[in-house]
Amino acid sequence: MNPRDRFAAVIAGEQPDFVPVIPVLDGYFAPRLTGRKNDECWLDGACMAAALAEGLRRLGCDGVVAEMGLGENPNVLGCPLEVRGHQVPLVVDTLVNGPEDLTKVKVPDPWAEGKMEPVQQLVEAAGDSVVIGSVRSPFEFAATVRGLIGFMTDFYGNPGLVRDLIDACFPATITLGLALAGSGVDALVIKDSFASSSMISPGHYLEFAFPSEAEAVKELGGKLPVILHVCRNSLPILPDMARTGAAVLEIDSPVDLIKAREAVGSAVVLKGNIDAVGVIEKGSRADVESAVRAALEAAKPGGRFILSTGDSIPSSAPEENVAALVEFGREFGKY
Amino acid sequence: MDLLSRFQKAIIDGDADAAAAIAEDITRVAEVRPDAIINSLSGAMETVGGKYETGEYFIPEMLRSAEAVEKALSLLDPYLFERRRDFSGVIVIGTVKGDIHNIGKNIIVSALRASGYEVHDLGVNVPAGKFVDRVKEVNADLLLLSAFTTSTKQALVEVLTALEEAGLRGRVKVVSGGAAHSEELARDVGVDAFASDVKSTLAVCRELLGKRGH
Repeated sequence: MNPRDRFAAVIAGEQPDFVPVIPVLDGYFAPRLTGRKNDECWLDGACMAAALAEGLRRLGCDGVVAEMGLGENPNVLGCPLEVRGHQVPLVVDTLVNGPEDLTKVKVPDPWAEGKMEPVQQLVEAAGDSVVIGSVRSPFEFAATVRGLIGFMTDFYGNPGLVRDLIDACFPATITLGLALAGSGVDALVIKDSFASSSMISPGHYLEFAFPSEAEAVKELGGKLPVILHVCRNSLPILPDMARTGAAVLEIDSPVDLIKAREAVGSAVVLKGNIDAVGVIEKGSRADVESAVRAALEAAKPGGRFILSTGDSIPSSAPEENVAALVEFGREFGKY
Repeated sequence: MDLLSRFQKAIIDGDADAAAAIAEDITRVAEVRPDAIINSLSGAMETVGGKYETGEYFIPEMLRSAEAVEKALSLLDPYLFERRRDFSGVIVIGTVKGDIHNIGKNIIVSALRASGYEVHDLGVNVPAGKFVDRVKEVNADLLLLSAFTTSTKQALVEVLTALEEAGLRGRVKVVSGGAAHSEELARDVGVDAFASDVKSTLAVCRELLGKRGH
């Protein structure tokens, strides 16, 4: 099986030859891995596409996450950003400071001025490997344009604004998701990082994040398999995440994979959940081996599992540890 | 329930209106010592932090409590300022470049002012040069750097480098703190001390200024 067949088999509920190994290889790690700087790549889509394609080849994993350079990628809906050297890009100001600013949320035109070309280049360069297009959920877009503190303060202070803002951001998720689908990616990951039970209560998740999340999965899932990503602890909300209809739930390292499987049943694919910081960035080769074995022992039986990091591989992670993740994934992931 | 217990409960419940009403009562009654108010506030925030640790509270609930503190302090600031002790030190504070969070910093500013310090608050997203200029201008004893996210580590380093280059590093003690900030990160960066909340900030300031003979 090639990587794309392997991925398709898992999505279809069939048993592949190996557990697919698709760590979250995205714009945080790929530039440094390939000798480029973040600021070069995040501001230049072609540079990012080249870094991701080269990273994919070098690591030999089954897939990669399609990030476009921020110069081309309207993934922050116009919020001012700063990118310096190898640092993570940072939103340094908010777009929406109150209800009067709702009209500032504009749905970007992803096809304008060749903005999708880097994704198409990556898809072509990836060959038989899986390319996952990445888009923010309406909830995450809303938190980004409002600023996380203001957004979460509004949960109690102005819940109407929270809902209005999510509604205003919803078309951006759909438009960008469809553009990624139209560029040839194999799947979409909807990132809903802030919906985490490490940040908001399961009640607030259901009230604010879930409705638009489910609606986005419904609209985009008709085109491609949708992976739903929530950072850190998602265990309390996993049954609801499964209820969105997402084909894959991307689980972060704090969640026990056995408990996760118990929570969602056998129908949905789980993707995860090696600790990207504690194991991949800061751990040893032995730590990687131990974590990979534990994850496979917990989630490989019965199929419907993709071995991955729980979140983006950090920029400063050693290449050897990511390579070891792939190596041990192959060694212990054979069916 | 006495006034300060009700004040604490209002903060823990995140009831900003109740906290503000009690703050107004305090300013009218005028019999509550400033340090008792700060201790009460600090205790309430510790309880809120504890509820977060145990999973009873999440970030919106913590923010709701922080907002109650801010609203109360905005009313209490003049009352506390009038009753301050003599200035026990000059402090420059701000959130470092690349970070726009201000709630925690604002609470610290009020607590420091209430404790008698002369505080110069530079706001958020402050470049290294601005910290250096103000430290020099007011001859600060302490520089407090707020950094909410770990990604602002580089900004902390830049401030320390700029202080060195300006020949001020030996003259001013530097303290860093903020959510998602750790003692380990502070050690890595090379600041003089780390503080994680109101209580530890006040303790660190007292200790560092004491060492300087204030």
